[in-house]
Amino acid sequence: MVTAIRRDLSIQLQTEGLQKVRAFIAEIVRASEMEENLQNRITLAIDEAITNIIKHAYEEKHQDRIRITVDVSPKRFEVVIYDSGCSFNPKEVKAPDIQQLVREGRRGGLGVFLMRKIMDEVEYVFHEGVRNELRMVKYL
Amino acid sequence: MADLEVTSQQCSGKVFYLGLKGFLDAHTFERLEKTISGLFAQGHYRVVVDLSGVGYIGSAGAGVFIGALGKARDHQGDLVLLTPSPAVQEVLDLLGLCQIFRIAKTLDEAQTFFS
Repeated sequence: MVTAIRRDLSIQLQTEGLQKVRAFIAEIVRASEMEENLQNRITLAIDEAITNIIKHAYEEKHQDRIRITVDVSPKRFEVVIYDSGCSFNPKEVKAPDIQQLVREGRRGGLGVFLMRKIMDEVEYVFHEGVRNELRMVKYL
Repeated sequence: MADLEVTSQQCSGKVFYLGLKGFLDAHTFERLEKTISGLFAQGHYRVVVDLSGVGYIGSAGAGVFIGALGKARDHQGDLVLLTPSPAVQEVLDLLGLCQIFRIAKTLDEAQTFFS
């Protein structure tokens, strides 16, 4: 039985913080007694979402912070990521053709592909000039 | 453990072995990318990347391999992945990379892929 947990974390808009996010998710998975094999996947989806936010932020925004809230209940794992950087809507990103990426020596769209593949719901809300919200849910 | 350590060693048959320890994410991938670009710049396109010491890989890390593979093969080389840890294997599976990359269980097996 999964134990209900609600936690939040705030990190700077910099890739140095990704390791802290992964440790935060690992701690929640342990405390909630979720299946451990979900940890790697859920961590990956959240890591990819935050990486995209950092990548698309303006340079001068890198001192800003991202807030991550996680809500675990027996039936679902929900994460909401709040930021005030540039809008980044995962729905606008096409699914990558890996063979084509290899041929062209490019990479792109892999993070969003993983977010969609792992999580059951991925929703993005853009409040212009205020903040962005990315909400992802995994049913347990 | 450091965030990412990359060690490089030349094996037989002009094959280069890259040993990775740590994690391969958006913060560390450029270190590996620079190492591989450096090998390519010197004309070394036969590369084995040992992933047994990598505890975490994100799409930025996998993207380094995707970006390098085509170039290696265009130059009659290859980029072979060696003993990915279970966590890394899962990400390779999710991205469908196991059908594209050669994955070896031992360095000897990896070297046979170049012969």
